[in-house]
Amino acid sequence: MAIKFPSIDFFRELARRMADNAAEFEKLGFCDTVMGVKVDGDSAHLYALTFDVFDCTDVRELASPDDVELDFTLEAPLALWREMFESIKKTGTPEPAYTLNSLSHVGDRMKVVYDDPEGHDKFYRFMATLQAFVDQTSDFDIEWA
Amino acid sequence: MSYYGTNDFSYNSDFNLRIRDIKKGNLDFGWLDDARETVEVRRRDPRRGLTIEDCEVGPYAIENTPEVIRENRGLAPRGAILDAATVQPDLGPSLNKKSDVWGYRVQRYWEEAMSRQWNVSTDVPWHDMDKHNIPDDLEIAFCQLCTLLSEVEMIATDLPAKWSHHMNSYFQEVKGFIATQAIDEARHAEVFRKRALAGAGLFRASVRGEHALKGILEADSYSEGSVFLHVLGEGFILTLFRSSEFISPTPVEQRMFQLVMQDEARHVSYGLQHLKYLMDNCPEVRPQINGFLDEAERHLTGLFNPDQLESMIVLGGKGTKPDQIKKGIEVVGAFQGKQIEEYFHRAERAGLPERRERSPLLELQQRMIAAAMS
Repeated sequence: MAIKFPSIDFFRELARRMADNAAEFEKLGFCDTVMGVKVDGDSAHLYALTFDVFDCTDVRELASPDDVELDFTLEAPLALWREMFESIKKTGTPEPAYTLNSLSHVGDRMKVVYDDPEGHDKFYRFMATLQAFVDQTSDFDIEWA
Repeated sequence: MSYYGTNDFSYNSDFNLRIRDIKKGNLDFGWLDDARETVEVRRRDPRRGLTIEDCEVGPYAIENTPEVIRENRGLAPRGAILDAATVQPDLGPSLNKKSDVWGYRVQRYWEEAMSRQWNVSTDVPWHDMDKHNIPDDLEIAFCQLCTLLSEVEMIATDLPAKWSHHMNSYFQEVKGFIATQAIDEARHAEVFRKRALAGAGLFRASVRGEHALKGILEADSYSEGSVFLHVLGEGFILTLFRSSEFISPTPVEQRMFQLVMQDEARHVSYGLQHLKYLMDNCPEVRPQINGFLDEAERHLTGLFNPDQLESMIVLGGKGTKPDQIKKGIEVVGAFQGKQIEEYFHRAERAGLPERRERSPLLELQQRMIAAAMS
């Protein structure tokens, strides 16, 4: 069954899989952060994903970034999110240019928006968990908005 | 032997008599005389197990400990009873003031570190190295980078180890956290050495870089060493790791950098929170820290040494042809600018906004911006 991106169901399915893949995520260790995901396009969408210990415990769509205290937000146009997920789909992990770190580093194709450097550093402190989280989409049948 | 105790217990007749008496069953239970406040320690979140923060209760809590520790110069854990009748040996801790070492949230960083440990031998997909054919120029450049990073990680192992025994034992959370840092950094030195030896080998050690690293180790105080290592040095290295993941030749190296990046970011976070705690609680040290950073930032430019710079340019441009070198220069210029900008932002948040105005790095940043625009 196809899952629409962007949608709250997309991230809820990732959260559900994270719980199912407990051994993998427990091996990676505690992950405590509230991450924003912003998909820019004709109509922008912003989601807040709350990671607590080994799980993604809350997923919600926000009307405004001020609705929740976000540690950092990854912002990219829909086309770039699509490229990233399609790259993950090829082999289960992204090609070098499409890791979360690569996309957000040089060229600022994906922006990391933050207020407090402590929140910003959480993106890097939990990088392996966050990358594994999005890599779970490799067998998703995605319906693009 | 350089320490001779004030009492030779093996020939102390009172002690021997007392032991003989105990062995006859005559226990006096004197160690039960001191009434203890009963505390409740419970797991707030069973998924985390029993955490350090769960144990921050009553007389054991750091918040109930005075800013300056006067009564303990030995190894007593915070909350233990000090026997007034005997003289505790002085182990000579020089860091007896909380603001000398403490950082907000240090308990959490310690738990996070323990939870996110990894193993160089088994968590990097070494078996995939054979699947990828890396051109010689990129492999050699990558191993040159690994050589510098091995040097950097050695100093980052040594600094926390050097200062740990100077810390009063009441600051166990900081001692515990920097012990995890020492093992993290040893693991980083291990991963870069292994990767180099599994490929083209180690290349030229950096004299210029090592002068910069000596400045970290020779800091006069722990706070100076911490602000240099954790905030300035590791902040720069964190961005370097991010860039190295970006320019990694294969997914094997990418995995390496994803893992080391996590540890490095945790150390930066502690350093930031220590500096912030220091500025909040001991603002009179601001001129001293600023004066130290003026010199430390000069030292740090040593890490921009030609061998490292050239190897990064080759990796960034993915080769040594003129157009690849041009591309590599752009990539490296962009990340160096980011290193400096992120450092200024961290310093500002920790309470040192003046770094942006007085830093020697400013000129370097402006030169980079000018080069990028030309």
